[in-house]
Amino acid sequence: MKMNDDDKILDAGFAQMRAQDVVPSEGLLDRIMMDADSVLAANIAPPVRTKQGLGAMVLDVIGGWPSFGGLAAATVAGLWIGVAPPAALADISAGYLGSTVEVPLFDTEILLGLDG
Amino acid sequence: MANQVTNTSDADLLAAFAAGDRSAAMTLTQRLTPRVMGQAFRMLGNRAEAEDVAQDAMMRLWKIAPDWDRDRAQVTTWLFRVVANLCTDRLRKSGRGVALDAIEEPSSDAPSAAQSLQDSARTLALRAALAELPERQARAVSLRHLEELGNPEIATIMDTNVRTVESLIARGKRALIARLSGRKAELGYEDE
Repeated sequence: MKMNDDDKILDAGFAQMRAQDVVPSEGLLDRIMMDADSVLAANIAPPVRTKQGLGAMVLDVIGGWPSFGGLAAATVAGLWIGVAPPAALADISAGYLGSTVEVPLFDTEILLGLDG
Repeated sequence: MANQVTNTSDADLLAAFAAGDRSAAMTLTQRLTPRVMGQAFRMLGNRAEAEDVAQDAMMRLWKIAPDWDRDRAQVTTWLFRVVANLCTDRLRKSGRGVALDAIEEPSSDAPSAAQSLQDSARTLALRAALAELPERQARAVSLRHLEELGNPEIATIMDTNVRTVESLIARGKRALIARLSGRKAELGYEDE
Protein backbone atom coordinates (compact mmCIF):
# COMPACT_ATOMS: atom_id res chain seq x y z
CA MET A 1 0.00 0.00 0.00
CA LYS A 2 1.36 3.39 -0.99
CA MET A 3 1.58 6.50 1.17
CA ASN A 4 -1.13 8.02 -0.97
CA ASP A 5 -3.48 5.24 0.04
CA ASP A 6 -2.75 5.92 3.70
CA ASP A 7 -3.79 9.53 3.20
CA LYS A 8 -7.00 8.35 1.55
CA ILE A 9 -7.72 6.05 4.49
CA LEU A 10 -7.26 8.93 6.89
CA ASP A 11 -9.38 11.29 4.84
CA ALA A 12 -12.16 8.69 4.57
CA GLY A 13 -12.01 8.13 8.33
CA PHE A 14 -12.20 11.85 9.06
CA ALA A 15 -15.14 12.18 6.67
CA GLN A 16 -16.97 9.39 8.47
CA MET A 17 -16.37 11.04 11.82
CA ARG A 18 -17.61 14.39 10.51
CA ALA A 19 -20.76 12.76 9.19
CA GLN A 20 -21.75 11.33 12.56
CA ASP A 21 -25.16 12.37 13.74
CA VAL A 22 -24.70 14.24 17.00
CA VAL A 23 -27.81 16.39 17.13
CA PRO A 24 -28.14 17.99 20.58
CA SER A 25 -31.07 16.63 22.58
CA GLU A 26 -34.01 18.84 23.52
CA GLY A 27 -33.03 18.30 27.15
CA LEU A 28 -29.59 19.78 26.52
CA LEU A 29 -31.05 22.80 24.73
CA ASP A 30 -33.49 23.33 27.64
CA ARG A 31 -30.69 23.13 30.21
CA ILE A 32 -28.59 25.62 28.25
CA MET A 33 -31.53 28.06 28.11
CA MET A 34 -32.11 27.62 31.85
CA ASP A 35 -28.48 28.57 32.40
CA ALA A 36 -28.95 31.61 30.16
CA ASP A 37 -32.03 32.61 32.16
CA SER A 38 -30.16 32.35 35.45
CA VAL A 39 -27.32 34.53 34.13
CA LEU A 40 -29.84 36.97 32.66
CA ALA A 41 -31.66 37.24 35.99
CA ALA A 42 -28.40 37.84 37.85
CA ASN A 43 -27.26 40.48 35.36
CA ILE A 44 -30.45 42.53 35.33
CA ALA A 45 -31.41 42.23 39.01
CA PRO A 46 -32.17 45.78 40.25
CA PRO A 47 -29.92 47.17 42.99
CA VAL A 48 -31.30 46.82 46.53
CA ARG A 49 -32.89 50.13 47.60
CA THR A 50 -34.14 50.92 51.09
CA LYS A 51 -37.46 52.74 51.36
CA GLN A 52 -36.79 56.44 52.05
CA GLY A 53 -39.09 58.54 54.25
CA LEU A 54 -39.90 62.25 53.84
CA GLY A 55 -37.48 63.29 56.61
CA ALA A 56 -34.64 61.36 55.02
CA MET A 57 -35.42 62.91 51.63
CA VAL A 58 -35.33 66.48 53.14
CA LEU A 59 -32.09 65.63 54.88
CA ASP A 60 -30.64 64.46 51.56
CA VAL A 61 -31.71 67.72 49.87
CA ILE A 62 -30.01 69.99 52.41
CA GLY A 63 -26.84 67.92 52.54
CA GLY A 64 -27.18 65.56 55.48
CA TRP A 65 -26.87 65.91 59.26
CA PRO A 66 -23.81 68.27 59.34
CA SER A 67 -25.61 70.80 57.15
CA PHE A 68 -28.77 70.39 59.22
CA GLY A 69 -26.78 71.19 62.42
CA GLY A 70 -25.35 74.38 60.92
CA LEU A 71 -28.76 75.45 59.66
CA ALA A 72 -30.36 74.90 63.08
CA ALA A 73 -27.63 76.87 64.87
CA ALA A 74 -27.96 79.82 62.46
CA THR A 75 -31.75 79.82 62.88
CA VAL A 76 -31.57 79.91 66.70
CA ALA A 77 -28.90 82.64 66.65
CA GLY A 78 -30.97 84.79 64.28
CA LEU A 79 -34.09 84.38 66.38
CA TRP A 80 -32.20 85.29 69.57
CA ILE A 81 -30.71 88.42 67.99
CA GLY A 82 -34.17 89.46 66.88
CA VAL A 83 -35.74 88.98 70.33
CA ALA A 84 -32.93 90.42 72.42
CA PRO A 85 -30.48 92.33 70.28
CA PRO A 86 -27.22 92.95 72.10
CA ALA A 87 -26.27 96.56 72.99
CA ALA A 88 -23.27 96.44 70.67
CA LEU A 89 -25.59 95.82 67.73
CA ALA A 90 -27.65 98.97 68.60
CA ASP A 91 -24.42 101.01 68.77
CA ILE A 92 -23.38 99.78 65.31
CA SER A 93 -26.79 100.71 63.87
CA ALA A 94 -26.58 104.18 65.43
CA GLY A 95 -23.07 104.63 64.05
CA TYR A 96 -24.26 103.87 60.52
CA LEU A 97 -27.56 105.76 60.59
CA GLY A 98 -26.67 108.61 62.92
CA SER A 99 -29.49 107.77 65.25
CA THR A 100 -31.66 104.86 66.29
CA VAL A 101 -34.48 104.40 63.85
CA GLU A 102 -37.61 102.42 64.49
CA VAL A 103 -39.28 100.94 61.43
CA PRO A 104 -42.80 99.67 62.06
CA LEU A 105 -43.46 96.45 60.31
CA PHE A 106 -47.18 97.11 60.30
CA ASP A 107 -49.09 100.30 60.11
CA THR A 108 -50.80 99.96 63.51
CA GLU A 109 -53.35 102.74 62.80
CA ILE A 110 -54.61 100.92 59.74
CA LEU A 111 -54.66 97.66 61.62
CA LEU A 112 -56.67 99.19 64.45
CA GLY A 113 -59.10 100.97 62.08
CA LEU A 114 -58.19 104.41 63.39
CA ASP A 115 -57.29 105.83 60.02
CA GLY A 116 -59.81 108.46 58.92
CA MET B 1 -37.63 39.25 10.79
CA ALA B 2 -36.37 35.67 10.71
CA ASN B 3 -33.72 36.69 8.21
CA GLN B 4 -32.67 39.56 10.43
CA VAL B 5 -32.07 37.15 13.29
CA THR B 6 -30.34 34.68 10.98
CA ASN B 7 -28.05 37.36 9.61
CA THR B 8 -27.20 38.88 12.97
CA SER B 9 -23.64 38.09 13.94
CA ASP B 10 -22.83 35.99 16.99
CA ALA B 11 -21.12 38.98 18.59
CA ASP B 12 -24.20 41.18 18.09
CA LEU B 13 -26.45 38.49 19.53
CA LEU B 14 -24.12 38.14 22.51
CA ALA B 15 -24.27 41.90 23.07
CA ALA B 16 -28.06 41.78 22.88
CA PHE B 17 -28.11 38.96 25.43
CA ALA B 18 -25.86 40.97 27.73
CA ALA B 19 -28.40 43.80 27.43
CA GLY B 20 -31.15 41.46 28.61
CA ASP B 21 -32.52 40.04 25.34
CA ARG B 22 -33.56 36.43 26.00
CA SER B 23 -34.41 35.74 22.36
CA ALA B 24 -30.76 36.41 21.48
CA ALA B 25 -29.78 33.58 23.83
CA MET B 26 -32.29 31.29 22.12
CA THR B 27 -30.83 32.06 18.70
CA LEU B 28 -27.28 31.54 19.93
CA THR B 29 -28.26 28.26 21.59
CA GLN B 30 -29.85 26.94 18.40
CA ARG B 31 -26.97 28.16 16.26
CA LEU B 32 -23.95 27.20 18.35
CA THR B 33 -24.91 24.14 20.38
CA PRO B 34 -24.77 21.67 17.45
CA ARG B 35 -21.20 22.76 16.64
CA VAL B 36 -20.15 22.69 20.27
CA MET B 37 -21.80 19.33 20.83
CA GLY B 38 -20.29 17.90 17.66
CA GLN B 39 -16.78 18.99 18.54
CA ALA B 40 -17.09 17.61 22.08
CA PHE B 41 -18.50 14.30 20.84
CA ARG B 42 -15.78 13.87 18.24
CA MET B 43 -13.10 14.52 20.88
CA LEU B 44 -14.64 12.45 23.69
CA GLY B 45 -16.62 9.78 21.85
CA ASN B 46 -19.32 9.81 24.52
CA ARG B 47 -22.65 11.57 24.17
CA ALA B 48 -23.32 12.13 27.86
CA GLU B 49 -19.88 13.62 28.43
CA ALA B 50 -20.18 15.69 25.27
CA GLU B 51 -23.49 17.13 26.52
CA ASP B 52 -21.88 18.06 29.84
CA VAL B 53 -19.06 19.82 28.01
CA ALA B 54 -21.48 21.59 25.67
CA GLN B 55 -23.55 22.88 28.60
CA ASP B 56 -20.44 23.98 30.47
CA ALA B 57 -19.05 25.79 27.41
CA MET B 58 -22.33 27.61 26.74
CA MET B 59 -22.59 28.62 30.41
CA ARG B 60 -19.15 30.19 30.12
CA LEU B 61 -20.35 32.05 27.05
CA TRP B 62 -23.36 33.48 28.93
CA LYS B 63 -21.15 34.58 31.80
CA ILE B 64 -18.59 36.32 29.62
CA ALA B 65 -21.25 38.13 27.55
CA PRO B 66 -21.19 41.45 29.49
CA ASP B 67 -17.39 41.64 29.14
CA TRP B 68 -17.17 40.33 25.57
CA ASP B 69 -14.56 42.13 23.48
CA ARG B 70 -15.59 41.73 19.84
CA ASP B 71 -12.08 42.70 18.70
CA ARG B 72 -10.51 39.84 20.62
CA ALA B 73 -11.85 36.85 18.69
CA GLN B 74 -14.87 35.41 16.95
CA VAL B 75 -17.39 33.79 19.25
CA THR B 76 -16.99 30.44 17.47
CA THR B 77 -13.20 30.58 17.75
CA TRP B 78 -13.47 31.29 21.45
CA LEU B 79 -15.93 28.40 21.86
CA PHE B 80 -13.70 25.98 19.95
CA ARG B 81 -10.91 26.82 22.36
CA VAL B 82 -13.13 26.41 25.44
CA VAL B 83 -14.50 23.06 24.23
CA ALA B 84 -11.03 21.80 23.32
CA ASN B 85 -9.74 22.74 26.78
CA LEU B 86 -12.70 21.16 28.58
CA CYS B 87 -12.37 17.95 26.56
CA THR B 88 -8.62 17.81 27.09
CA ASP B 89 -9.13 18.19 30.84
CA ARG B 90 -11.59 15.31 30.86
CA LEU B 91 -9.33 13.10 28.77
CA ARG B 92 -6.38 13.90 31.02
CA LYS B 93 -8.34 13.13 34.19
CA SER B 94 -9.55 9.85 32.76
CA GLY B 95 -6.04 8.77 31.82
CA ARG B 96 -6.06 10.28 28.29
CA GLY B 97 -6.70 7.13 26.29
CA VAL B 98 -10.25 6.32 25.35
CA ALA B 99 -11.16 2.65 25.45
CA LEU B 100 -12.73 1.34 22.29
CA ASP B 101 -15.58 -0.34 24.16
CA ALA B 102 -16.33 2.92 25.99
CA ILE B 103 -17.00 4.77 22.77
CA GLU B 104 -20.58 5.13 21.67
CA GLU B 105 -21.26 4.84 18.00
CA PRO B 106 -24.18 6.94 16.79
CA SER B 107 -26.65 5.31 14.48
CA SER B 108 -26.15 5.95 10.79
CA ASP B 109 -27.85 5.07 7.54
CA ALA B 110 -25.20 2.71 6.25
CA PRO B 111 -25.86 0.84 2.99
CA SER B 112 -25.57 -2.56 4.65
CA ALA B 113 -25.04 -4.08 8.03
CA ALA B 114 -21.58 -5.37 7.08
CA GLN B 115 -20.53 -2.03 5.66
CA SER B 116 -21.93 -0.27 8.71
CA LEU B 117 -19.95 -2.48 11.04
CA GLN B 118 -16.80 -1.89 9.05
CA ASP B 119 -17.36 1.88 9.00
CA SER B 120 -17.95 1.84 12.73
CA ALA B 121 -14.82 -0.17 13.35
CA ARG B 122 -12.78 2.22 11.22
CA THR B 123 -14.20 5.27 12.97
CA LEU B 124 -13.54 3.77 16.37
CA ALA B 125 -10.02 2.84 15.39
CA LEU B 126 -9.30 6.34 14.11
CA ARG B 127 -10.75 7.98 17.22
CA ALA B 128 -8.75 5.67 19.46
CA ALA B 129 -5.60 6.49 17.50
CA LEU B 130 -6.37 10.20 17.83
CA ALA B 131 -6.77 9.79 21.59
CA GLU B 132 -3.31 8.26 21.79
CA LEU B 133 -1.59 11.18 20.06
CA PRO B 134 0.26 13.84 22.04
CA GLU B 135 -2.28 16.40 23.20
CA ARG B 136 -1.35 19.29 20.89
CA GLN B 137 -1.08 17.05 17.83
CA ALA B 138 -4.49 15.55 18.56
CA ARG B 139 -6.03 18.97 19.01
CA ALA B 140 -4.52 20.39 15.82
CA VAL B 141 -5.55 17.36 13.73
CA SER B 142 -9.08 17.40 15.19
CA LEU B 143 -9.59 21.09 14.51
CA ARG B 144 -8.26 20.77 10.96
CA HIS B 145 -9.83 17.53 9.80
CA LEU B 146 -12.91 17.14 12.00
CA GLU B 147 -13.95 20.77 12.50
CA GLU B 148 -12.49 21.78 9.11
CA LEU B 149 -11.00 25.02 10.40
CA GLY B 150 -8.27 26.90 8.58
CA ASN B 151 -4.74 26.85 9.95
CA PRO B 152 -4.79 30.57 10.94
CA GLU B 153 -7.90 30.03 13.05
CA ILE B 154 -6.39 26.89 14.60
CA ALA B 155 -3.29 28.92 15.43
CA THR B 156 -5.49 31.49 17.19
CA ILE B 157 -7.32 28.80 19.14
CA MET B 158 -4.09 27.12 20.17
CA ASP B 159 -2.20 30.35 20.91
CA THR B 160 0.54 29.57 18.43
CA ASN B 161 1.58 30.37 14.85
CA VAL B 162 0.54 28.83 11.55
CA ARG B 163 3.86 27.07 10.94
CA THR B 164 3.62 25.29 14.27
CA VAL B 165 0.08 24.25 13.43
CA GLU B 166 1.21 22.84 10.07
CA SER B 167 3.97 20.93 11.80
CA LEU B 168 1.64 19.56 14.48
CA ILE B 169 -0.86 18.39 11.86
CA ALA B 170 1.79 16.75 9.69
CA ARG B 171 3.35 14.90 12.63
CA GLY B 172 -0.08 13.96 13.94
CA LYS B 173 -1.18 12.47 10.63
CA ARG B 174 2.05 10.49 10.29
CA ALA B 175 1.53 9.10 13.77
CA LEU B 176 -2.08 8.19 12.97
CA ILE B 177 -1.02 6.34 9.82
CA ALA B 178 1.63 4.48 11.79
CA ARG B 179 -0.92 3.45 14.41
CA LEU B 180 -3.51 2.33 11.88
CA SER B 181 -1.07 0.55 9.57
CA GLY B 182 -0.94 -2.46 11.87
CA ARG B 183 -4.71 -2.84 11.71
CA LYS B 184 -5.30 -2.56 7.96
CA ALA B 185 -6.33 -6.19 7.53
CA GLU B 186 -8.56 -6.07 10.61
CA LEU B 187 -10.31 -2.94 9.34
CA GLY B 188 -10.70 -4.26 5.79
CA TYR B 189 -8.41 -1.74 4.10
CA GLU B 190 -6.27 -4.35 2.36
CA ASP B 191 -9.26 -5.58 0.34
CA GLU B 192 -9.81 -2.19 -1.29
